[in-house]
Amino acid sequence: MSIAIAKTPAEEVYADLDNLPDGFDDIRKQAANAVAKSGLPNRRVEEWKWTDLRRIVDQAYPPAIGGDVAAEKLDELSALSPFGNIVGSRIVFVNGVFDETRSQLPKNISISMLASADKVGFSLRDGDVIDALNLAYASDGVIINVAKGVKVEKPVELVFLTAPDQPATITTRNVIRLEEGAELTLLETHAGHNEAYVTNCVTEISIADNATLNRVRLQEDGENAIHLSNTAANLGQEANLRDFTFTIGGQTTRNQGFVTFNGENAALNMSGSYMIAGKQHADTTLVINHAVPACESRELYKCVMDENARGVFQGKVIVARDAQKTDGQQSANALLLSEGAEFDAKPELEIYADDVWCGHGATSGDLDKNQLFYLKARGIPENKAKALLIAAFAAAAFDEIENEDVREAFNELAQGWLQRREV
Amino acid sequence: MLEIKNLHAKVASSVEEEGTEILRGISLTVNPGEVHAIMGPNGSGKSTLSYILSGKDGYEVTEGSVTYNGEDLLDKEADERAAAGIFLAFQYPVEIPGVATMQFLKTALNSQRKARGEDELSTPDLMRLVREKSQMLKVKPEMLKRPVNVGFSGGEKKRVEILQMAVLEPTLCILDETDSGLDIDALRVVAEGVNALRSPDRAMIIITHYQRLLDYIVPDKVHVLSKGKIVNSGGKELALELEKDGYAAYEVDAA
Ligand SMILES: Nc1ncnc2c1ncn2[C@@H]1O[C@H](COP(=O)(O)OP(=O)(O)O)[C@@H](O)[C@H]1O
Ligand SMILES: [Mg+2]
Repeated sequence: MSIAIAKTPAEEVYADLDNLPDGFDDIRKQAANAVAKSGLPNRRVEEWKWTDLRRIVDQAYPPAIGGDVAAEKLDELSALSPFGNIVGSRIVFVNGVFDETRSQLPKNISISMLASADKVGFSLRDGDVIDALNLAYASDGVIINVAKGVKVEKPVELVFLTAPDQPATITTRNVIRLEEGAELTLLETHAGHNEAYVTNCVTEISIADNATLNRVRLQEDGENAIHLSNTAANLGQEANLRDFTFTIGGQTTRNQGFVTFNGENAALNMSGSYMIAGKQHADTTLVINHAVPACESRELYKCVMDENARGVFQGKVIVARDAQKTDGQQSANALLLSEGAEFDAKPELEIYADDVWCGHGATSGDLDKNQLFYLKARGIPENKAKALLIAAFAAAAFDEIENEDVREAFNELAQGWLQRREV
Repeated sequence: MLEIKNLHAKVASSVEEEGTEILRGISLTVNPGEVHAIMGPNGSGKSTLSYILSGKDGYEVTEGSVTYNGEDLLDKEADERAAAGIFLAFQYPVEIPGVATMQFLKTALNSQRKARGEDELSTPDLMRLVREKSQMLKVKPEMLKRPVNVGFSGGEKKRVEILQMAVLEPTLCILDETDSGLDIDALRVVAEGVNALRSPDRAMIIITHYQRLLDYIVPDKVHVLSKGKIVNSGGKELALELEKDGYAAYEVDAA
């Protein structure tokens, strides 16, 4: 039995086909209809039990594209990127529209924009509302193709700046393809103003045999933002994906990851860290699908929550029946700095093969009293001792990042966070 | 310098129940330049005494007082005590993943200097100081890059404790079973490091279970702690007696 419940203002605007942007008409309609049918998931939907999206998207947020933003505001938001000296090129989107003047395009890789692309061959991910909303309303995004054997030397940065003049949903969709043996480091900065908005950013990744993608995302969205993201990746034989997300900003964050191994001996490292406070809420939900034998997956999350912040980690690892010799390990550790902070973790293993090595662990706790005493006994005041331990905890997550400059930049951001919080 | 008077302490507990006393009336005076050994069977309260002196949370002093250079010590936070010159070499040094030993030493020394109103030491000066002391204690330079105590062997941990002591130059050194788990060569290195720090204005309390360490670090006074009380005090010869006769006599006496 199903009871028709009234649509929320957001569900109304998302279901209104008149709001759809031009292009990809069929798939957009299909996606919008899927959203209209399912509505936004609430906490009674298992995958959303800790992140009640229906309640979180608390007003209409009509889909929007572009719009004027003061140059100073954009300068200020751009300056939140710590990658300036690390990258060789950057591709900037403002309110979901490519901003050519703020971008410096990379030279040796093929780049095009979703807004001007004819046909990308999208299909709807079943039952995934973030993907459906994104397909329906994506206004722009980058399509990167790294040709066979090309190793892009300098990291490429994608910058997503969001500052709509009224509460709105800004939607971008990126497609990253690495052909055989290609290599790319992709850094992403997400930043926005402090007014309420929804940003929905989906990235489809395909990594062919022997290719390597290093991807690092920094989420510094505004304090009233709802940040929704998907990373959907397919890995070929001996392909490598390292993906790291550092969440500091946003009011509510939901980062989903869907990774499928399609070739043997591929390796995935999907890791991240949160440093959140106030009433911030950050959720990482992953589904790692070992469809073929002999692949390795690692997920390591280290999350710091202060005040009434809440962290969520849901990680599912599926090992198909013939995916023997799978090596899948995940761990989620939380540091709770105050009574009101919370962390919910649900690691799940769904194993149909018998010769596998899989494991998971989740811990949460406050700072170690013996460590604190040891530092204080050496003359380090309590606040400083705490800051050292928290920074060390976060640094252990950053160690999963290959690029040393990025690790260093993140350690500095963590220091900044600690100083702002006066921990 | 250090004046402990009739110190009683128990484990602090939130419930209003009578926790058992671990320290049951300790009195001890330590003057500058002196080395006191405190010996006693396991569980007699030696580590508890060292924690209470250095300011660890979780204990409640129910009676008595401790003053250091005339000031009430028990009022101060652990870091304030460290800045005032008190150093505890831990029986079980704590591992601090993610904090490099060199960075830790620098933060510790400069925090203390700042608290005392002294100038902070520059990184090159600090490196020079740490290198020099490391050589004496046979601590390899690459260990300083590693996180504090993480992956150090038992002997390495103890040597690094003494290295910290040498760098921080405290005025009262409390060594809690620094000899345990050391082979004879490591023991010599550690003892030399400790002896190098002996000076007329620095005092030491050497807590040990065995007499062995006291062959190298010769104490001025030896006290026997049993069930939270000092049950006997004497000169260095007392340690030799204990070695011969064991603690059995004291455990019965104090019961
Ligand atoms: N935090 C604590 N909680 C409960 N009992 C404790 C605690 N610390 C010490 N004790 C008890 O106090 C006694 C003395 O311990 P300790 O000071 O470690 O002795 P020693 O160092 O001489 O071996 C022991 O019986 C020990 O079990
Ligand atoms: Mg002890």
